[in-house]
Amino acid sequence: MSDATHHGLPMQEPSHPPAGRGFWRNLPFWGLLPSWLLMAFALLVPMIIIAAVSVASRGAYGGFDWGFDLTGYRQILFNEGWSGELEFTPQYLSIILRTLGLALTTTLLCLVLAVPMAYFIANQPPARKAALVYLVTLPFWVSMILRVYAWMIILGRDGPLPRFVEFFGAPAGLSFMYNDGATLAAMVYSYMPLMVLPVFASIEKLDGTLIEAAHDLYGNRWVTLRRVILPLAAPGIISGAILVFVPALGAVLEPTLMGGGKQMMMGSLIQLQFGGGRNWPFGAAIAMTLLAFVVIVLILTARRATAKGATT
Amino acid sequence: MKKYLLATAMGMALASAAQAEGKLNLYVWSDSIDPELIEKFSKENDVQVSVDGYTSNEDLLTKLQAGASGYDISTPSQHFLRIMIDEGLIENYGANKLKAFDNIDERWRNQWWDETQEYSVPVAYGTAGFAVNTDQYKGPLDSLKYFFEPDGELAGKIAMLSYPDEVVGAAQLYLGVPFCSEDPSEMKKVLDLLAAQKPAVAVYSSDNIDSRLASGEVAAHFWWDGEELKARMGGAKLDYAMPKEGLVGWIDSMVIPKGAPNRENAIKFIEFMSTPENATAQMNFYAHSSPMKVIPEQVVYTKEKAPELYPDVPVEFSRTCSPAAQDLVTKVWTQLLQ
Repeated sequence: MSDATHHGLPMQEPSHPPAGRGFWRNLPFWGLLPSWLLMAFALLVPMIIIAAVSVASRGAYGGFDWGFDLTGYRQILFNEGWSGELEFTPQYLSIILRTLGLALTTTLLCLVLAVPMAYFIANQPPARKAALVYLVTLPFWVSMILRVYAWMIILGRDGPLPRFVEFFGAPAGLSFMYNDGATLAAMVYSYMPLMVLPVFASIEKLDGTLIEAAHDLYGNRWVTLRRVILPLAAPGIISGAILVFVPALGAVLEPTLMGGGKQMMMGSLIQLQFGGGRNWPFGAAIAMTLLAFVVIVLILTARRATAKGATT
Repeated sequence: MKKYLLATAMGMALASAAQAEGKLNLYVWSDSIDPELIEKFSKENDVQVSVDGYTSNEDLLTKLQAGASGYDISTPSQHFLRIMIDEGLIENYGANKLKAFDNIDERWRNQWWDETQEYSVPVAYGTAGFAVNTDQYKGPLDSLKYFFEPDGELAGKIAMLSYPDEVVGAAQLYLGVPFCSEDPSEMKKVLDLLAAQKPAVAVYSSDNIDSRLASGEVAAHFWWDGEELKARMGGAKLDYAMPKEGLVGWIDSMVIPKGAPNRENAIKFIEFMSTPENATAQMNFYAHSSPMKVIPEQVVYTKEKAPELYPDVPVEFSRTCSPAAQDLVTKVWTQLLQ
């Protein structure tokens, strides 16, 4: 953002359309119109529909009837117990917390792995750099479900990893599937490129002389990383973290296929309510709750970013 | 969810465009219809057929409820068929006046899911139960006890489906609780049974069952008779349990969703699938029993070759549960996986 001023380049005036020619000459508006329409149609309209469904009353066999009803939201916290009394039920809350925990852990692991990787790539000669970036994006050429199946083969019974451990004396017929570790492995693998690329982009722009300066001032490697590299790479880290955290919140595939589906996540809970549960308003209410978390995270990071921008 | 609604919106936009003559859009159980039959129908009638698949009745119901699916034929199971009739989601195409009706085996006509047989023609039936990998498990298979209350050999090596309906149904059979019970204390017993079994369960999943079971990743898997039969015929060392408590039964029927753009072709297709010759070919492909009159000499899966399809234990068909009963099923499932 502040690149131009760093290098002492003059700030360019943004070119405005000639003033006073009225609405029809507003080129930026018309140029962006297709994307506005797409956003409205593909993002806002479905969101409004979900919001409306979440406060509708439920149909007997799925579906919904128009009519204001907040049962869906109440149900997140209060349900009829087995005795028929309305009581506080933490079951959905614990599913929500578990989902947040998984998304957060995934983001952190991605971050820990991505920073050194991005740093390494950024410090290669240009040709090799391009090849490495290409390799990072390569998994995206293959469907997500195939990549998860590949992990099932790697970790599963008689897969390469159990075989490898067997070689060092572990018992035969091992399987590393169907546990939290397997879920995390697939999650981190799936979302890793979303973290590496933005972090790489900001580390690449990093001025090497600043690192030299840090060393000249007797900063050791750790101090240099903490006080020079990380703060300068922060924009990339923040956008990478958002790119990983948000889709990880809605993950269904990895917890079901790798973790064995023994514990529900928000994604599978929503799926259950629209399917077997036949309770669309409740499903929509959980979807809105998920959306609320995402919006809160986005607002918080945006605030932090602007606060930081103001101080530098 | 966003994706889902977007798909619906696009589906609505496409539905009107798909009205061209000579088309037929199937939305049926994945890999359930013999591709050779589809090709034959397509050639004989000069109709372009497209096939989409689903893997659960819930998926189908949700899609039809969302409206204007653009599909001409679907194959729901009996308990969902009843809901679709009651909710007005499928067409009354006068099935009982078709030639296909005369080809339905007498015992499958005019059942509770379609008393007047105006809405549907059955296409396949079978059971849901447990299959085991016989390399991994050599114990008895005559009771659901070995799966719901496993000791030793099967502990940690059991896989269940990821949909509550079949799993809860089997648990009800085992406990002697009636299907669609509205009694919370009975359903609490179902939950207690499944919760006690959970530590012995490796995975709750409806995908990729054959490879999970054949590779020995799990030793026992909740499954359907025909799928197990096909895998066994393909060389996998499997066996299908015949528990004395019984098996959960299902029957899939061909229906026409409301507002289907190619209704005439759909009826042609239903007639086509119901001739003895084609019904036999379909059974030989799908490996589930046929509710139609077939040509006995041409049936591949005979009683000797395929005992899975000819159970001698009681078979109880899933019922259409009231909303109150369904809520209890969902409650059991949520608390099991909370």
